[in-house]
Amino acid sequence: MAFVQNFPFLSILLSLFSGPLCSILSGKWAKRVNTGVIVTTGVMSAFVLQHVISTGQSYVYQMGHFPAPWGNEIRVGILEAFMACFFCAVMLLCMLGGIREREEQIQESKQNLYYVMVNLLLCSLLALIYTNDLFTAYVFVEINTISACGLIMIRQTGRTYEAAARYMIMSLSGSGLLLLGICYLYAVTGHLLMSNIREQVQFLAQTGQHHLSLMVALGLMSVGLAMKSALYPFHTWLPDAYGYSTLSSSAILSSLVSKGYIFLLIKIFCRVVGFNVVNESKVVNVLFVFGIIGMIMGSLSAIKENNLTRMIAYSSVAQIGYIYMGLGLATEAGIVAGLYHVLSHGATKALLFVAASGLGDASGNSDRFADITGAGLRNKLAGTAFLAGSLSMVGLPMFSGFISKFFFAQAAVGHAHKMFPTVIALALSTILNAVYFMKTVIRIYTPAPEGSVGGRQIGVWEQPAKSAALVCLILLNLILGLNSDPIVRLIQRGFEMFD
Amino acid sequence: MDAFLLIPIVLPMFFGALLLFFSFREKNTAPGGRRERARLCLYVSAVLGISVALALAAAWSGDRELVLFTLFEGVPVYFHVDALGRLFVTVVSLIWVLSALFAFVYMKHEGKEKRYYGFYLILYGVLVALDFSGNLVTMYLFYELTTLVSMPLVLHNGTREAVMAALKYLFYSMCGAYGGLFSVFFLYRYSDSLNFAPGGTLNQAAAQGHEGILLIAVFAALVGFGAKAGMVPLHAWLPTAHPVAPSPASAVLSGVIVKSGVLAVVRVVFYVAGTDFLQGTWVQYVWMTLALLTVFMGSMLAYREQIFKKRLAYSTVSQVSYIMFGLSLLTPDAFTGALLHVVVHAVVKCGLFLTAGVFVYRFGYTRAEELGGIGKKMPKTMWCYLLLSLTLVGIPPTGGFVSKWYLAEGALQSGTGVFSWLGPVVLLVSALLTAGYLLPIAMKGFFPGSEHLQGLEEPHGIEEPGEGAQAHSSRKALGPELSPAMLVPLVVLAALAVWLGVFPGPVSEYAARIATAVF
Repeated sequence: MAFVQNFPFLSILLSLFSGPLCSILSGKWAKRVNTGVIVTTGVMSAFVLQHVISTGQSYVYQMGHFPAPWGNEIRVGILEAFMACFFCAVMLLCMLGGIREREEQIQESKQNLYYVMVNLLLCSLLALIYTNDLFTAYVFVEINTISACGLIMIRQTGRTYEAAARYMIMSLSGSGLLLLGICYLYAVTGHLLMSNIREQVQFLAQTGQHHLSLMVALGLMSVGLAMKSALYPFHTWLPDAYGYSTLSSSAILSSLVSKGYIFLLIKIFCRVVGFNVVNESKVVNVLFVFGIIGMIMGSLSAIKENNLTRMIAYSSVAQIGYIYMGLGLATEAGIVAGLYHVLSHGATKALLFVAASGLGDASGNSDRFADITGAGLRNKLAGTAFLAGSLSMVGLPMFSGFISKFFFAQAAVGHAHKMFPTVIALALSTILNAVYFMKTVIRIYTPAPEGSVGGRQIGVWEQPAKSAALVCLILLNLILGLNSDPIVRLIQRGFEMFD
Repeated sequence: MDAFLLIPIVLPMFFGALLLFFSFREKNTAPGGRRERARLCLYVSAVLGISVALALAAAWSGDRELVLFTLFEGVPVYFHVDALGRLFVTVVSLIWVLSALFAFVYMKHEGKEKRYYGFYLILYGVLVALDFSGNLVTMYLFYELTTLVSMPLVLHNGTREAVMAALKYLFYSMCGAYGGLFSVFFLYRYSDSLNFAPGGTLNQAAAQGHEGILLIAVFAALVGFGAKAGMVPLHAWLPTAHPVAPSPASAVLSGVIVKSGVLAVVRVVFYVAGTDFLQGTWVQYVWMTLALLTVFMGSMLAYREQIFKKRLAYSTVSQVSYIMFGLSLLTPDAFTGALLHVVVHAVVKCGLFLTAGVFVYRFGYTRAEELGGIGKKMPKTMWCYLLLSLTLVGIPPTGGFVSKWYLAEGALQSGTGVFSWLGPVVLLVSALLTAGYLLPIAMKGFFPGSEHLQGLEEPHGIEEPGEGAQAHSSRKALGPELSPAMLVPLVVLAALAVWLGVFPGPVSEYAARIATAVF
């Protein structure tokens, strides 16, 4: 066994134990440790990715060399390693972009606690990605929820308490449903290890036993994870949680946390239950329908919003809808498109949040539409970044959003029943996206009226960390948009390894 | 690989962006001094001159092609110069240079010149790229960019009306572009490649059994890209957006940008889907109906519109659908006529909007009835106007006659049942209406009638020498009728409009060659 193969386990362990470590450090040192951990995990994941690509097959890592029913397993394939790598990169950029906001908005004495949360969040994301054990997945889902709550309410305003409470309630009901589903599955199959459950489920599906219990379990798990990742009717916690928390929190929550759950759901579909069983159930159709409704409703709410951050938050609802629509197509192409959109949306949404805060800086820390008029002229880099993010959302070729839209459409074309709903939903959502993003772009480039107060010029070098984060995120977006071919091939190969 | 193609695309974009960068840096938006303006004009003309020279050189030196990079499997960003692109690039370049010349004087009273020229230069690069695009996705990219970059020209004066018009333009174009993208999804699946090839690249075997959905896709592209060409049902933005822009910008919007919609339609129908596929289908008939409807409706609306620039915008709606009708007939002659009309209409409509600009610039006149007697004040401008109007009506020996002749000929040969005679009839009626809304201005301009005479007549009869001298000097102060920078484009355009009719040979043969290639 190559030494590299230990890295996934080590990275989970590293981020897990650096969490408590941060609690006894000062804020400054906690920040350093946190940055170091993210970078190290990212580099380790890159090595793992390189290793899996070169060997061309996935491997199972048994913790402490205990075989399955007693020990715990990690499974690493191309897709897992790639996602881990991407998540680390985006998380680093989100943290980089929000340094100043954290210093201003979080109490001096609680600075280090923030990094505890971030480290735990990273750990749980990695665990969700790598784990081969359904119950471990559940445990880390809970860790994820709790640390996300911390991230939301550490800003300590009335709004964030409320938002965190809402998030907690919705998210815990989601976890509850997930747990119920896992229990059902355990009761029916007698296993908790993903590959074992799958064998058993396949057997049950062929013989037709326990059909109802299986479907209930599948439904419960899907709904639970859909709640946690803010699929349309369960999205009400999202705008507050993303809109009022501190910058790095909202960027991380929107671009990573919800994606971790979606990744877990994809894993459950493909590795736990088996794709053929999922395909036969009606669950995917339900997800498809709600995905589409979410695409439209999210955009409509975003149009009505007159606060920039909340508008971007609502647009997340729409984008999550895209991903569920891809899942709902229940074809390999659809899921690959959904996975690509996970990347694309992760990169774009983080970019938009950071850019929006840059625009807010240039407008007296306000993100109301009335105040950000002309902000793109006052803070050029943030303006450019917002423009790039908007164009990506609208789907201009060369940006990542176009590619994912194209893949969704390609997945839908030729699909027996779902072709027209998909394409029409894509059309409507594109137009609605154009409505609110272009409206905002025009506003930030319209010179502010004479005599308006609060605006000030912001140079590129005033906040070097944020500028660097913006530039990197724009580049990430362009790389995803211009160089999608190898990435998609990677996703496809990784997806094939799932079986 | 031929990197030379990239230069005329990137060069104006880069220098335009540079100009924008500097325009945003300026603290005060007040117009600078004379020297600064002269320097700006020099900069713009240098960049534009070099870009145009390079673009034409790249266009007219063989079938160059360039694969920039691969977007995703089988779809690169790909430029390829072909006969059609060559024609469009030439038209765009010509109009761009003349309108820039006009703008050097005109934009003085609009202000924010750097921003205007910045977007103007970038837009030239985008249009060249659009014309050089070698596959559908590349074209879609630059089509969207055309919309985005031309939008600031529409909202130039920053009033609420202008911003709303620009947004309307944006949404119509984006909705339309999505229609185009919709067709790309399907064509990507059912054709050999998305690269343009005369006659189409549809894979007959793959398309077998999916004709219905493909027809819908092509129709979506027609309606969608037709939005930019002002075709019903997505035409409503055009009469709102074109008139609010500064006149030189309206000239290029109406003269050239609407043609990008035409180009996109030609590319989808004749270079990807193929004419055989559409011949005789419901798509063709609906397309013809929509085009004829637009021709008629545009003329009617123009006829009863009193604001001059708005009238011209409605006229654009009508005239561009002549082109659309020509294309929809799917016969070589009509196709030739459509391409000819692309050239003619670009020249004429650019010229007409520039004359409208002259009236606004010199007198602040915006309404048609204010123009009575204007021929006495500026005869040269009015003569240009008259020639351009006659061309648009289609009176021999002007360019409009030739293109409409081909269109009518093509319609009669097309064998499309009722449309083969209904088409020419509608075209004729619309020509009459065109005469009805354009020529009275010229007539009133030269022969205003008695009620206008008092106010306008120069005090020629000298009763008191002092007063006469004063009047003489005040006339001197106004200078000659127009500065050469404004007059030259008008004269050139008017001459071209007539020349296209007197010697139509080269252009019509060129268009006919394209037509034989695609059929």
